[in-house]
Amino acid sequence: MMKVAHTICPSCSVGCGVNLIIKDNEAVGTYPYKRHPLNEGKTCRKGRECFKIVMENRLKEPLLRGNGLKQSSWDAALDAVVSQIKLHPAPEVGIIISGKCTNEEYETLKKFSKNLGVENIGCHTGSVPSVDLGTATLDDVENSEFILIIGDVIKETPLLGRWIILAKENGAEIFAIDKPDETLTGVNSHQYQQVESISSIIDEIDSTVLEKLSSQSTVIISNLENGDNFEKLLTFFNQYDTKIIPVFQDCNSRGAMNILPILSDDDLSDLLEKIKVLYVVGDDPASIMIESMKNLDFIISQGCMVNETTSISDVVLPGSCWAEKTGSLTNTTGETQEISKILEPPGNALDDQNIITKIAEKMGLEL
Amino acid sequence: MESQFLLAKAKDDELAVRGECGGAVSALFKYLLDQDLVDGVLTLTRGEDIYDGIPTLVEDSEDIISTCGSLHCAPTMFGDLISKHLSDMRLAVSVKPCDAMAIKELEKRHQINENLIYKVGLNCGGSLMPITAQKMIEVFYDVDPSEVVKEEIDKGKFIIELADGTHKSIEIDELEEKGFGRRINCQRCELKIPRNADLASGNWGAEPGWTFIEVITEKGKKLLDGAKKGGYIEVKTPSEKAIIIRGKIENAMIKLAQKYQEKYLEENYPNIENWDEYWNHCIKCYACRDACSLCYCKECDLEKEFYNDEDGVVPDPLTFQGVRMSHVYFSCINCGQCEDVCPMEIPLAVIFHRMQKKYRDKTGFIPGVSEELPPLFSPEKE
Repeated sequence: MMKVAHTICPSCSVGCGVNLIIKDNEAVGTYPYKRHPLNEGKTCRKGRECFKIVMENRLKEPLLRGNGLKQSSWDAALDAVVSQIKLHPAPEVGIIISGKCTNEEYETLKKFSKNLGVENIGCHTGSVPSVDLGTATLDDVENSEFILIIGDVIKETPLLGRWIILAKENGAEIFAIDKPDETLTGVNSHQYQQVESISSIIDEIDSTVLEKLSSQSTVIISNLENGDNFEKLLTFFNQYDTKIIPVFQDCNSRGAMNILPILSDDDLSDLLEKIKVLYVVGDDPASIMIESMKNLDFIISQGCMVNETTSISDVVLPGSCWAEKTGSLTNTTGETQEISKILEPPGNALDDQNIITKIAEKMGLEL
Repeated sequence: MESQFLLAKAKDDELAVRGECGGAVSALFKYLLDQDLVDGVLTLTRGEDIYDGIPTLVEDSEDIISTCGSLHCAPTMFGDLISKHLSDMRLAVSVKPCDAMAIKELEKRHQINENLIYKVGLNCGGSLMPITAQKMIEVFYDVDPSEVVKEEIDKGKFIIELADGTHKSIEIDELEEKGFGRRINCQRCELKIPRNADLASGNWGAEPGWTFIEVITEKGKKLLDGAKKGGYIEVKTPSEKAIIIRGKIENAMIKLAQKYQEKYLEENYPNIENWDEYWNHCIKCYACRDACSLCYCKECDLEKEFYNDEDGVVPDPLTFQGVRMSHVYFSCINCGQCEDVCPMEIPLAVIFHRMQKKYRDKTGFIPGVSEELPPLFSPEKE
């Protein structure tokens, strides 16, 4: 039994279409999805190899901490979750979710936290602040007369980079700014300006470049080391009549910020200090701030993969990867695309929305 | 075996109506599945619209009806799909000439077992990229592409049909002059009738409601005889005139392809400065290698340490594209998949096709058609 099925690549925020090759309910490869308007069957290596995510380090059974993490029944795991949440007042409960979940999961979790009275909730996006602006479309990029690029967009997000190449072939002038001596984006630009630091761009940028910013131009901002810079640059370029594309990190960072509060690294660390019970959905905070998690009484980790957070959790709830869900993802240019369930989750893993609903039911909450 | 021409159509009414040209190909597939001569049929089915052709493995003959109809906006490749994922199956596959070429090269390299596979060839004047086709329909036909329910290529025209039954057609030549129409690789392709398959079928020279079939191999002949005896198809002999018309169409298309080869591989061939600029785009993502049916090595030299130049911002075209070229150019079938999937819009296929043509002129080796392996082929890489 083999089938080829459409999906959206979960590896970055560009939102390329890929076809998964499924053989006997296993993802064994990808196949070009040429009908997809964004990438026409073209992918970067991450996109072509995204089928491997389906098999990687999967959580297949609920785990409960006794003497170490032990396999448990769903009922026992969910009972432990519910009793701990009930034991603590709402201000001591925190919920964090990654930028890799679906819009529908964000909505469900938002309702769940609201009905529970939990205010410490958010999506951790690392360096990127919440952005509320209309961004350029990819057609805008292709039809631009002038493109200003901050970061190595062609190398880091090649399928967004492709639209820059197409614009250049259409006669657009390309100007790139970054820190290294040389970048792939710089090599493919008409002009490259090296800067000391990203925070100094506003001071150092060539004034003739700013004169070229018009409604026929696009500024693409990516690859920033901290959120303050990102915010400053957005505010700065918003003064001009130019279109802007911020490049987010995860496949649904943009969707998350439409629905939930966004947490920077600092916000996340503040949140962790306030709470005693942490419910993590699809994220791995322990990989970046394990110290801030030491004072937590109870950690619930829900997701599809084994990670540092699952290993220090008290309950682990096995969820689904993107190819096992139906829902939608919003890409970095704000376009929302549907994904459909292609595969069954492995073992006793469940759909993430289903897990949240089961917890709510046991808590006596309506969703 | 001598070539033999005949006209065929499905006996099953539904297949005859829904299938292309009387549904003979669909009926052959149904026969193979019903008689347990194959485990599955690999062909295209229509996805969300006419621009969305999805490779589909049909294992139940009742499902053959879902594969009916032609899809010209689906430039797919079956070669590596079979060698990588279906090589252990008894399979029937509908093949465009490029699919048949890839399969033939893979058979010679023992990646596909020819005894396990029925190749039902489809004559092909070329296919269109789905997004290009939509833009073309919007701009030149002044039609919302989502309203097109059917398309066909006939008498040099690309014809669309709308839900209300109206047709609109434009000369393909005219579309291609403006940068639309068939893929550039298809424009250059000289193999329009897949005589490297077991059967070659199509509408050239056929009467309405019938498929014109050229029997190529003994296996193809047996398949036709069996399907006829089993009551799946009816056949008749085409007129002399039909055979002549078909030959004329084929020759005209080959001449046109040669004209396009001259245009793309000589007149408009990128100059050295253009190539420098193209190689600067390269992100060494291996998409070209992964899309190439002929790049089947388990361990690829390109990923070996001595070719690794991670320090450079731009990969060295000599140790990346150059090495890939030296490994496979002589066998390049000009399917264009490498170029289709290149995220950086590098026109890779022109350089491979141009070099292969030079090699062909010297050695006579035609990839995907010649029975033997290329002269001086080294199995060392295997």
